[in-house]
Amino acid sequence: MLRLIGRRLLLMVPTLILVSILIFALAEVLPGDVGRSILGPYATDQQVKILNKELGADRPLYERYASWAGGFVTGDWGDSLLLKVPVFPTVMKALGNSLVLAGFALLIIVPVSVLLGVYAGLRKDSFLDRGITISTLSMTVIPEFVSGVILLYIFAVWLKWLPVTAMPPEGAPFVDRFYYLILPAIPLMFLELGYIARMARVGTVQVLAMPYIRTAVLKGLPRRRVIFGHVLRNAMVPTVTVIGSQVGWLIGGLVVIETLFVYPGIGKLMVDAAQTHDVVMLEASVLMVAVIYMVSNLLADIVVALLNPRIRMGG
Amino acid sequence: MGEERSPLRPGPDLAEEASWVDADPEMLELQADAGRKSEELHADAAAALEQKRQRRYLVRALLRSPTFMTGLIIVLFWVFMALFSTFITQSPTDVDAMASLQAPSAAHWFGTDDLGRDVLARTMAGARTVLVIAPLATMLALLWGGIIGLVSGFYRGLTDEIIMRLVDVLLALPIIITSILILSLLGKSVAIVIVVIGALFTPVVSRTIRSAVIGEREREYVMAARLRGERSAFVMAREILPNITQPIIVEGTIRLGYAVFTAATLSFLGFGLVPPSPDWGLTIATERIFLQIAPWTVLFPAAALASLVVGVNLITDGLSRVFSK
Repeated sequence: MLRLIGRRLLLMVPTLILVSILIFALAEVLPGDVGRSILGPYATDQQVKILNKELGADRPLYERYASWAGGFVTGDWGDSLLLKVPVFPTVMKALGNSLVLAGFALLIIVPVSVLLGVYAGLRKDSFLDRGITISTLSMTVIPEFVSGVILLYIFAVWLKWLPVTAMPPEGAPFVDRFYYLILPAIPLMFLELGYIARMARVGTVQVLAMPYIRTAVLKGLPRRRVIFGHVLRNAMVPTVTVIGSQVGWLIGGLVVIETLFVYPGIGKLMVDAAQTHDVVMLEASVLMVAVIYMVSNLLADIVVALLNPRIRMGG
Repeated sequence: MGEERSPLRPGPDLAEEASWVDADPEMLELQADAGRKSEELHADAAAALEQKRQRRYLVRALLRSPTFMTGLIIVLFWVFMALFSTFITQSPTDVDAMASLQAPSAAHWFGTDDLGRDVLARTMAGARTVLVIAPLATMLALLWGGIIGLVSGFYRGLTDEIIMRLVDVLLALPIIITSILILSLLGKSVAIVIVVIGALFTPVVSRTIRSAVIGEREREYVMAARLRGERSAFVMAREILPNITQPIIVEGTIRLGYAVFTAATLSFLGFGLVPPSPDWGLTIATERIFLQIAPWTVLFPAAALASLVVGVNLITDGLSRVFSK
């Protein structure tokens, strides 16, 4: 198991280096002139030259890449071109906000989708089963900003049950944040609901066909014990696997939901940096997201391995 | 040439089957064709006929699938609106400052937006951009991914290894992040959005096609073609490709759903189109500040986009169910 993790961690290094080269190339080589791409077509050549000198963009490429990548590793991420603030603390603060939102969303994804999936599986091929499957899959394929505005309208504008914004006013206790996060978290939940519910349903149907379930029923265990003791636990394994494989969608969803709800997370930071050509901020936040993405994929694999003895032993 | 009924659908609909044969112009053409070249092509023609028969069976199964048909009707509705809505509705871009943010009424069924434009007209015309971007991007992804998948699945070995490691790197970033990065640096235009989405879907498509190719490459017909001394390119394009059309079609419709999703998301984030385009994602982004005072400006385009995405996915679901039978 430890060897498996070690090998995966080692494999991450070359991938990360390639990804960082890709980001660097996209951000600094493709546009040709960095200063020109930041200042736009109306700046004079003189201004472009000065900015290039300030950014160090007049140095050779490999030197720039080395100093950028070296700076990233040591935590020296430079200053934002637009906001003139250090990038590192800005990105970290935004990342913290995003993790709170993503964590809250994951917290409600699991029970809701597993319950729906298991329920559908227990009533396989019934009207309810089909209804649950079709509606959860529809929620998953609809873009999160669409479900976001519709929910925003229903619960914040029409019924007035929930606030329109995603952040409580300054000075409110930390617990209040979760009340404000309910509305942004639901569209994020929808993004994975269909897949997870489907997996939980399939898992349930498979488990129900197993001989040991028949044994459990025949030896007179109450239905509740059979479902909670046997069915639910075995339906969880594929579910966790799916959650792990959907991290990329969750990150994409964060970008969109944070923009829709004007929530100060890393997704919003990235979109703003991209809109304003803040290349330094953009590079740092994208690379950070890549790191998070890879680490969470690894974590998901580890959890799956822990749940599945065959993988756990064979590592 | 004895026309037999499909072994998969025996029973009372023999008459129906016969009428299908009469109605199918492709079928008649094929029979004529086979007659012209007669003997030496007889085996080929029989094989082609078998293929036609199977295809006809699939079409019929699709027409009977409620999932597929519902999806098809929704998508065709939007295709129709994209093409002809301007002849039916008012102008989607005509500004009327005196009639801004009006609630739905007899004059404007869906109300008007902040510039007094007719929301019904804009909602109907909004399908246009998505229905141009998504299919073209999907086709690009199928083309590139098809070539890459064929080559790496056919040759295996080092070529395969290198291509698949590169694919891993491209997939190391969520697609939406990479496209934001590229679009913010390359500028905004429909053509760039199409190419970017196509390029970013290529790795996934190439993986699917690669595994389909690997399933076929050890078959006898591939071996036979190789022994005949055919060139690799011929074997890939003329022997393997026709035999993996089903996974390609399913993959294509899956990607189409994601392409609609991605294109809409990008224009919502402000990296696709620019006003005054009636594009749904863009409209939701610009009008969402009016959600509290004029919800119709946002809700109608949102519902329209939702219906199109669900429609495309119903088609995908119906197709993959019929194919996997």
